[in-house]
Amino acid sequence: MIEIKDLHKSYKMGSNSLHVLKGINFTAEAGELVAIMGSSGSGKSTLLNILGMLDGADSGEYILDGVPIKDLTETKAAQYRNKFLGFIFQSFNLINYKSALENVALPLYYQKVGRKERQVKALSYLERVGLKEWATHLPSELSGGQKQRVAIARAMAAEPKVLLADEPTGALDSTTSYEVMDLIQKINDEGNTILVVTHEEDIAHMCKRIVHLKDGVIVEDKKIKQVRAEQYV
Amino acid sequence: MFDRDIWQEIFHTLKNNKLRTFLTGFSVGWAIFILVMLLASVNGMQNGFTNQFNDDATNTIFIRPGTTSKAYAGFEKGRRVQFKNDDIDYIRKSFPEDIEYLSARYFNGTSARYKSETGSYRVQAVHPEFQMIEKILVTNGRFFNDADLTNKSKVAIIGRKVKEDLFKKEDALGKFVELNGSLFRVIGIFIDEGDDNAERRIYMPISTYQRTYGNTNDISAIALTYNPSYDLTKALEFSGRLEDIMKRRHKVSPEDQSGVNVWNYAEAFDDISSFSAVLNTISIGVGFLILIAGIVGIGNIMVFTIKERTKEIGVRKALGAMPKQIINLVLLESTFITTLSGFIGLIFAWIILSLIGPNINTPAFSNPSVSLSTVVTATIILIVAGVLAGLIPAIKAANVKPIVALSDK
Repeated sequence: MIEIKDLHKSYKMGSNSLHVLKGINFTAEAGELVAIMGSSGSGKSTLLNILGMLDGADSGEYILDGVPIKDLTETKAAQYRNKFLGFIFQSFNLINYKSALENVALPLYYQKVGRKERQVKALSYLERVGLKEWATHLPSELSGGQKQRVAIARAMAAEPKVLLADEPTGALDSTTSYEVMDLIQKINDEGNTILVVTHEEDIAHMCKRIVHLKDGVIVEDKKIKQVRAEQYV
Repeated sequence: MFDRDIWQEIFHTLKNNKLRTFLTGFSVGWAIFILVMLLASVNGMQNGFTNQFNDDATNTIFIRPGTTSKAYAGFEKGRRVQFKNDDIDYIRKSFPEDIEYLSARYFNGTSARYKSETGSYRVQAVHPEFQMIEKILVTNGRFFNDADLTNKSKVAIIGRKVKEDLFKKEDALGKFVELNGSLFRVIGIFIDEGDDNAERRIYMPISTYQRTYGNTNDISAIALTYNPSYDLTKALEFSGRLEDIMKRRHKVSPEDQSGVNVWNYAEAFDDISSFSAVLNTISIGVGFLILIAGIVGIGNIMVFTIKERTKEIGVRKALGAMPKQIINLVLLESTFITTLSGFIGLIFAWIILSLIGPNINTPAFSNPSVSLSTVVTATIILIVAGVLAGLIPAIKAANVKPIVALSDK
């Protein structure tokens, strides 16, 4: 599903440049649930941004679902993001003047799905994250965990190939974190490919595979036995 | 553009930022208001000028004799020039192509009497064509004709004021009025809107007057209109020829400014229309400058808005919004505010103008109003302005990198 070969990325900081990713090689099959771990500055967020086409690599190959991702124009990147990727952010990034339902429907709008169909679809995804009754509420009326569940529903709505979660539990307390992880696991159980960037060990162990990043290279890549979040909820 | 969702978003942002929306809109609305008021004022001045002249045909030329100021052709200076009937015939023969209507004028004061009512008025003895030159509006009866002129009929056309003074409520047509001791039959009554003095005049055939009072061929002045198809240059050229020929005929030096006086309406009209054209240009210019200030205001606020919404735009891009769609959103929002508030300014100006405009009627300023074309132009300007105001912010918004927008954790 994801194939990365010798990926490099550096940022210019004034006169000197900062080499963040120093040759990453990584593959993920469909249906995997991968945790990308590393301390801050290890390059894990940069990697996720490149995977999410929010940022471009300097060199190396990136193939997503058989499509080589390179020479992206803004418009093309937008189309690919819309078609391939769903994002889950640490700070949820819901649009605060739109209701939960409208937030979930937004990626569908950019996919040019008709109004009626959009509403029906968005509502069914809200139902899947257990927030059907909250459809008309604004984000400000939701708790942190609820907001993240809306964000997950939104990421799911476009039916992406890969879900990218950047510290999805970073802003949540541990109980809520487990609820969110439980949801992510269930989505993964249905066959969705999910990448989770985290620096929390317990969250990482709820995935099926852990990739450790340090100073811009992968130092460890191991399959693990998944800890189900259900038991903590 | 007619996507319901986009409009929903725009209303949403506007509703959530009422003060911002109001301030932005106000600057543009105000600018349009001022622009329309300025144009209407210029229009009012133009109307005022035109009203003062529109009694008479605009292609009129008056020729008046004067006193020579230079010795010429054996005559001393200070000689009074006197026009006579044959001057009329001479002009008519000399310029058959150029002349539309031609008439002599003889004016004098007269005392008038009907039964016990008396008054003193101005008599103008003219040719029948004078009706067309001066645009005399006869409401009752008729103006005299060529037959009256040939027969030297003792007929008179009196102004409305004369009729009211002398005849009161009585019907004047067919009655005889005594003018300086001679009886004249009233065959017509004329009116002149907005000029009471003109309605104190009495018209009669020039031939009748000359025979009745002194058996003379003298005339006071000549009035004529030239071919209405002439433009200003041709009109001026014609009045030049006219002046030359009249000076030669009456032995007046070509350099003499006072012997024969040819006065061309076109010149005065040209001065006025170029004056109001300048005024118009200035007011459009000033209005535009104010409008630009408004546009900059909108652009400014839109840039600020984009800054405020950077994160939201980043999220939208992450969700698959294309740059085009972001640009659309911002442009539509700014165009919407500009057009709406501009319209409000326009309607305000219109209401004020239609309330007070018709009540203003002074010689220099009358019925200020704007034409439909001005309104349509203003609307187009507004829409263009809205697009311009939104353009820079929209491009800024489209260039927002989702990564930068989302990184502030």
